[in-house]
Amino acid sequence: MPLHILGIRHHGVGSARYVAERIEALQPDLILVEGPPEMTEALQVIGHEALKPPVSVMLYNIDNPQQAVFYPFATFSPEWVAALYANKNRIPLRAIDLPVAISFQQALAENDTTLSAPVRDPLDYLAEVDGFASGSALWDHYFENHFQIHTSAEHFEAVMLTMKTLRQAAIPSLLEEENTLREAYMRECIRKAQNELYQNIVIVCGAWHAPALVQVDTTAKADAKLLKTLPKTKIKPLATWIAWTAQRLALQSGYGAGISSPGWYAHRWKYPQDTAMLWLTQVAGLFRSKQADISTAHVIEAYRLACTLASLRNRPQPTLNELNEAVISVMCMGDAVLFQLVEQALIIGNKLGKVPEDIPKVPLQEDFEKKIKSLRLSLTANAKQYDLDLRQENDLKRSVFLHRLAMLSVTWGRTVENRNKGTFKESWVLEWSPAMILELIDKAYYGNTVQIAAQQVILQQLQAEQKLGNITSLLSRVIPAELFECIEALLLAIQNLASVSADVVDLMAAYPTLVQVSRYGNVRKTDLSMMQKIADGLFTRISIGLGNACYGLDEANSEQMFRHIVAVNEAVRLNQQEEAQTLWLNTLQQLLARTGIHPLILGCTSRLLFDAQIWTTSEAEQHFAYALSPANPPSDVAAWIEGFLKGSGAILIYDDTLWNLLYAWVASLSEQHFTELLPILRRTFSQFEYAQRKQIGEKARKGLVAISASTLGASPDIDEPRAEMILPILEQLMAV
Amino acid sequence: MNLLRQHAEEQFAHELAELKRHDSGHLPPNWQLSPQSVVTYLMGGKLRNGFEVSSKYIGDRRLMEIAVATLTTDRALLLYGLPGTAKSWVSEHLAAAISGNSTLLIQGTAGTSEESIRYGWNYARLLAEGPSENALVATPMMKAMQTGKIARIEELTRIGSDVQDTLITILSEKTLPIPELNSEIQAVKGFNVIATANNRDKGVNELSGALKRRFNTVILPVPDSIAEEVAIVRQRVAGLASSLEIPAQAPALQEIQRIVRIFRELRNGVTEDGKTRLKTPSSTLSTAEAISVVNNGLALAAHFGDGKMNAHDLASGIIGAVIKDPVQDSVVWKEYLETVVKTRDDWKDIYRACREISR
Repeated sequence: MPLHILGIRHHGVGSARYVAERIEALQPDLILVEGPPEMTEALQVIGHEALKPPVSVMLYNIDNPQQAVFYPFATFSPEWVAALYANKNRIPLRAIDLPVAISFQQALAENDTTLSAPVRDPLDYLAEVDGFASGSALWDHYFENHFQIHTSAEHFEAVMLTMKTLRQAAIPSLLEEENTLREAYMRECIRKAQNELYQNIVIVCGAWHAPALVQVDTTAKADAKLLKTLPKTKIKPLATWIAWTAQRLALQSGYGAGISSPGWYAHRWKYPQDTAMLWLTQVAGLFRSKQADISTAHVIEAYRLACTLASLRNRPQPTLNELNEAVISVMCMGDAVLFQLVEQALIIGNKLGKVPEDIPKVPLQEDFEKKIKSLRLSLTANAKQYDLDLRQENDLKRSVFLHRLAMLSVTWGRTVENRNKGTFKESWVLEWSPAMILELIDKAYYGNTVQIAAQQVILQQLQAEQKLGNITSLLSRVIPAELFECIEALLLAIQNLASVSADVVDLMAAYPTLVQVSRYGNVRKTDLSMMQKIADGLFTRISIGLGNACYGLDEANSEQMFRHIVAVNEAVRLNQQEEAQTLWLNTLQQLLARTGIHPLILGCTSRLLFDAQIWTTSEAEQHFAYALSPANPPSDVAAWIEGFLKGSGAILIYDDTLWNLLYAWVASLSEQHFTELLPILRRTFSQFEYAQRKQIGEKARKGLVAISASTLGASPDIDEPRAEMILPILEQLMAV
Repeated sequence: MNLLRQHAEEQFAHELAELKRHDSGHLPPNWQLSPQSVVTYLMGGKLRNGFEVSSKYIGDRRLMEIAVATLTTDRALLLYGLPGTAKSWVSEHLAAAISGNSTLLIQGTAGTSEESIRYGWNYARLLAEGPSENALVATPMMKAMQTGKIARIEELTRIGSDVQDTLITILSEKTLPIPELNSEIQAVKGFNVIATANNRDKGVNELSGALKRRFNTVILPVPDSIAEEVAIVRQRVAGLASSLEIPAQAPALQEIQRIVRIFRELRNGVTEDGKTRLKTPSSTLSTAEAISVVNNGLALAAHFGDGKMNAHDLASGIIGAVIKDPVQDSVVWKEYLETVVKTRDDWKDIYRACREISR
């Protein structure tokens, strides 16, 4: 009963080619592949028209869907090739690795995943002797890159011999202990197949295991003893297919070996002849489609350089390394930025897999349905309004759930304005449409529960985000969805962006939100001190950069800056840190001393400083007189007044000095100037409340006010005992 | 020898001779060494007889392989990079190793004319004898073509575009026509051109598309790791201090590490621990500048201090290197000083020294 063991590297193009050729030659009656037996059934789907790689088998624990492993396949995966042959020729196909249920059980048992000391790839030892940079470079050179130098039978014999030699030298592999058990189990499966009287068995497995599977007859007893030590488990894993992406092929899961260049592998699989030349033509085509001038001569030169480099490094043909270096040097003028295009579009590629519709439900969907049941929500096409009271546990859970769904772009619920303005009330309208479940299935690879998937979505959005303001708004969305794990990442991103952002306006937009969240946010599980620290960092940067940022702004931008300054000022006051307040007031004072700053901002700054009461009366008067002096162009003065008075005009009523200055200034205007400035002044004054406007008007009728010493400060004729009588009521009103 | 600086092929003559003796690789026509040996000469290594070749370029071996491979083809080599990334240094050593002669050099400036690239005339002779080969003044380019050696052009992008384009015929047809004599000079095998250019300079003359595609470009990056860069600074500072005879103690390793760290952090826009992002100034902050800051500090300490370099000797040099644009860069520097330098406990001296000057 011949056993044909084909040692491969997962996702190895050369391996896949040899496997295809060898199986065709052997015409086996049973094919066994490495992989947990739970996925045997799923493997039968390979060959189905609607299953288009890259796809992945997902094995997950029904009771705990977060526990999942993935076995991704591409067209050039040897296992895929073997399965394709088996299904097409109606030969039985089985997966023979340790059941995944056992590893789930083990993972539960030994909660702490202490990593043992890193072990070298056994091939590294050979590489060292043979002058290769790494074991995988050596494998590539001998077993992957130069297809057709040997016959497939010779190839697998060589693989077997290499691995046998390494194993005989007692070189430990990466997962020594686990491997002993796995190989015992594989042998057990092979014996079982032999007992079923299969005559011609092909086994496709990782090269390292190949020598261990040769001796199946003599090891039966020892294996049985070993396998008895395996834990018993009641876990029932389910297997399903999910769509995969080229980028995710690079991820390490299930079949350990992630690959860094799936696009290049696919290219090699598709074009066994003239691989390098065709690759360079594709690269040139890509550049041309992006309007870069790449001629045929460029392709020729790049090919020549790649070949010369390969011969300098003693390689018969250029590999991806040589091709990349040649492309950078010849086509990109050495510019790695341009080359990123090749990296993304060709080397990795943006291929997206497809999965037939009739496959079993994905866990995310199941989690969704379970949550709906437990939260007592129903899927109806009729809009229904829910008024949630966030103080109630179930309502709070519902709100959190709906917020998370919104992040997954499932637009089932939308918030509506609640008439009752309390912060603990939230109103949602729920309206279901069947298409929404597709939205959910599309997100299946983000995670197996709504919570985890939502988290992943946020993290992904975060990666692409460059604007600080947008990240803070993400932060404010994450908090009602209680995705606390994201908060840390968001905060880190804010910190990173803040330190490189040259855009002070962006910083100023983010700072107040951050202060608000750190003060009032219902952030329970986050380190508040971290948030405070980041806010402080932002603030330091704002203080350093504010002066330059205000320089030379036009009116529209000044208006925007005005609002930001007021908002930051408010936030600084909220923050109640003495050091920050002093720094802020200093910054504002420095701002006043600079030139080239729009009078609107100067006016606003003066007002903030005036309100902070850090000027003495005479200093304040000096500032006003300076700003309102006739030497300044009237339009500047008007802008200054607008900035100074924006929001409240009460100051004009009680400060006579300022009143007189303003009055005199208005009187000094020529008629033409006055007509010009009227709209600005009108705009300023029209924002005051009616009563204030009336008082100002009455005051204006009286003209200049004679200044007595008593106008500012306490009136001498105040009745102190009587004044004190209202203090208790005031205290009660202000709740101090 | 009283020379301030020797040519590479003289300074490292024994290494070149030793490499040649043990060279077993295939020699391209007119090359002194095989491509593999040229790479060994640049990167350093041990020969079979145990002879130690010093490393000239500390960095990625891959880049040197591309450079050497390019020179074996009929494309010319363009070394591109920030100021101070060892472009001219590599070009000199490549020429020395390949042709045994690094002196066929044309310095590119805004005033470089066609005559200094192609050929000039000895006017006295031209007037006396009329146009003849004897009246020609050969340029380094012409000599390189005649003898099959490597010609070097420094700062190619500083040369005006019209003059740059005279290179096209030389590089593609490998010939230099002399219409006045109705003749030409055809390049002998082994001829090639190494040009250097820097990509941070403002007002450079971008290469024309036609010229661009006669060159393979290799960008020399700033050093990868802090250890690599410290090694470079140390090696060069020691070399220069001895040749300039500065009477100061060799700087402490720790001092060099600090400077390199400041330069790297500002250049890369992130602290070495990778935790904090920073703004980057408009200055290049190359390794060469780090070297000159240390040398400057040494000279200050030797002639005006106690002979031992301290934070004050370095501060002005550092600030001068960082702040090139008085407005933007000083914001960057202030932020760095206040958010990074201030928080490091053992950097108090440098913080104070810089604060004093920045005011």
